[in-house]
Amino acid sequence: MAEENKKRKEKIMSKIIGIDLGTTNSCVAVMEAGKAKVIPSAEGKNTIPSAVEPVKNLVGEVAKRQMVLNPENTIYSVKRLMGRRFSDSEVKKTQKMVSYKVKEGKEGMAVVEVNGKDYTPQEISAKILAKCKADAEAFLGEKVEQAVITVPAYFDDAQRQATKQAGEIAGLKVERIINEPTAASLAYGLEKKSGETIAVYDLGGGTFDISILEIGDGVFEVKATNGDTHLGGDDFDEKIVDWIAEEFKKDNGVDLREDKQALQRVRDAAEKAKIELSSTQETDINQPYITQGKGGQPLHLSMKLSRAKLEQLVADLVEETMKPVESCLKDAKIKTTDIKEIIMVGGMTRMPKVKQTVKDFFNKEPNHSVNPDEVVAIGAAIQGGVLGGEVKDVLLLDVTPLTLGIETLGSVRTPLIERNTTVPASKSQIFSTAADNQTQVEINVLQGERPMAADNKSLGRFVLDGIPPASRGVPQIEVAFDIDANGILTVKAQDKATNKEQKITIKGAVGLSDEEVKTAQAEAEKHAEEDRKKKEKVEARNQADNLVFTAEKTLKDAGDKVKKEDKEKVEAEIKNLKEVLGKEEASKEELEEASKKLSDELQKIGAAMYQAQQQQAQGGPQQEAPSKKKGKKEDKTKDKEKAEEGEVVE
Amino acid sequence: MGKKKIKKPVLEEKLVELEHKWKRALADYANLEKRVAKEKEDFVNFSKGTLIIKMLAVLDDLERCQRHLKDEGLNLSIKRFKEVLKSEGVEEIEALGGDFDPKLMEAVEVTKGFKNKVLEVALKGYLLNNKVIRPAKVKVGGGK
Repeated sequence: MAEENKKRKEKIMSKIIGIDLGTTNSCVAVMEAGKAKVIPSAEGKNTIPSAVEPVKNLVGEVAKRQMVLNPENTIYSVKRLMGRRFSDSEVKKTQKMVSYKVKEGKEGMAVVEVNGKDYTPQEISAKILAKCKADAEAFLGEKVEQAVITVPAYFDDAQRQATKQAGEIAGLKVERIINEPTAASLAYGLEKKSGETIAVYDLGGGTFDISILEIGDGVFEVKATNGDTHLGGDDFDEKIVDWIAEEFKKDNGVDLREDKQALQRVRDAAEKAKIELSSTQETDINQPYITQGKGGQPLHLSMKLSRAKLEQLVADLVEETMKPVESCLKDAKIKTTDIKEIIMVGGMTRMPKVKQTVKDFFNKEPNHSVNPDEVVAIGAAIQGGVLGGEVKDVLLLDVTPLTLGIETLGSVRTPLIERNTTVPASKSQIFSTAADNQTQVEINVLQGERPMAADNKSLGRFVLDGIPPASRGVPQIEVAFDIDANGILTVKAQDKATNKEQKITIKGAVGLSDEEVKTAQAEAEKHAEEDRKKKEKVEARNQADNLVFTAEKTLKDAGDKVKKEDKEKVEAEIKNLKEVLGKEEASKEELEEASKKLSDELQKIGAAMYQAQQQQAQGGPQQEAPSKKKGKKEDKTKDKEKAEEGEVVE
Repeated sequence: MGKKKIKKPVLEEKLVELEHKWKRALADYANLEKRVAKEKEDFVNFSKGTLIIKMLAVLDDLERCQRHLKDEGLNLSIKRFKEVLKSEGVEEIEALGGDFDPKLMEAVEVTKGFKNKVLEVALKGYLLNNKVIRPAKVKVGGGK
């Protein structure tokens, strides 16, 4: 048992990373606190170019940058050679495409030769995986020794074995090799589905894959795969470059493709335009001084490319992807209507035209909410999390679906714990009384998004009494909300003077059906405007009320230090404001206007008192009622009996 | 204990498991704290970086323009532009004449000249606080 525990400990204590080892780019992700997160490379990017220069041991971005200089020694697209025999037709095709030397190695397997030394595709891939490992370790601040690596669904045993070896060479224990489409499905949480058939459409930088999977009880079965190993984003870029060059030639008689430096700028501009046109309808391609005319005069590249034009340029490429899709469905012996979900993978699937074509074909909206460049790595990380025991029975922390608060003066809802707060959580605030000599407060616990108390759901209420009589606003009552991990809410009110406390425990403050949460949110949205007005009116009223209180207190405290005529003016304004307050239907503007008049008069008294230098500490002039300290209601005497919440002092 | 008596080894196992999960959570949190501090710092540089990268494209255009116009006013404007960038921690990568370094540069063409030497800078590269925000695009000698 002890031995087993030790093993388990080791297994739990080290993270299993997920790696999408791609033909063009690779990506690494890891589970953190129950969520998959993409690990940025040392260069600060989310993906790593799958390029390696084995002599100087350059990997990724750096290897790619010196490719032109060192074409024979820079290995890219090595995935195309993984676990394949030299006689394989795919190897022959790749050989024609790449600038490095591919030859026959041990047991007829394809190897690459660099500087007179043979490297197996595993060794090259290992260098990419080693970088993934190093970047992950730098990011996590701990050793990483285990990984889940993805492979295309069509990879055979030899290719999977080669991928596993690559991981081992890189110092990673490969916990599992999973299919790329399976990983993508995991990223969308589709493992919970049962008996569903899904399609994964993966259009990457250089390859296109379509897979049909059947999911049953967490098991993914590949029904059929198809694709085009030489079709991808690069082909799309090339179409745009050609179009730009042709247009430019028409206008200027110069072929930009013959000027290497200009071509480089056109390539960059084409890729930028392609990306921009996924979110805009038209983009400008501006490259001043791109080249020189025949007479030596400078020529500028300046044109517009619309999304419609782009779609026209690449229409045949997009169409080409649909042939394998059709064959794949045929092989799987299913109809388009049998497909329940479609998942989009690969950067090219961001193109609206691609999404639309897929949507039209299946007559269903494809899933593309997870970043298509990262979705496979994310799924691999989730698989790693499952294997590491991090995902299965992970302590799922709940959130409060709706805001929790209490009712305060004027039937206003004051929030304590905002919605979407991760529980366990606690929060406390100091409140006070609303009337002089108020000896008890009632705490009404509210749940909901509406600013007025009555529009929210009351979860419970209780009374804290025995507060020593004092002026309003003086007693300090701490109201503390505490929700534990099980969603049980405890609300406690404590009088800081006497330490007397009262509390209530409410179950189910967290557990709400999705339906209930949606309804509450929709209500809040619907009434947002009128609620705001209502709340503003109450606030104006509270402020006016508080001002009356302050004014009366100031006059009383000032006694005969104030000139009689000044005092009368203030008294008149107090009377006026009280009248306005007396009217239930008084508008916010009326209240504010009357308040301002009183406030102005009151300030004069204050100024006069300061001048006379007779101001005393407790009778200081009030410029304006402090907005945070709301007053009590007009009919003070009636309110005295009633328990009521005060406002925030703090 | 409840009605059902759970065997001690099972409990022990559970205890070990929970302890590890708890430690894992603590470790995750401690690491997160460290990373958040670093990320905050990186974020400032990064957000500045994205803007600066866009501005560099404008500077490139102005410099191309200047190569053609050779205007003194424009020259002063470019100088001022560069001073602003410098004050923000932007530094030009010195590539010309030196050895090719893929950490700082991207080779776009191989031309006649000394092997591995940078013979021409096609697009200037820049560092922001000593980190590459744009590698220099260079033409490199292929020997012979």
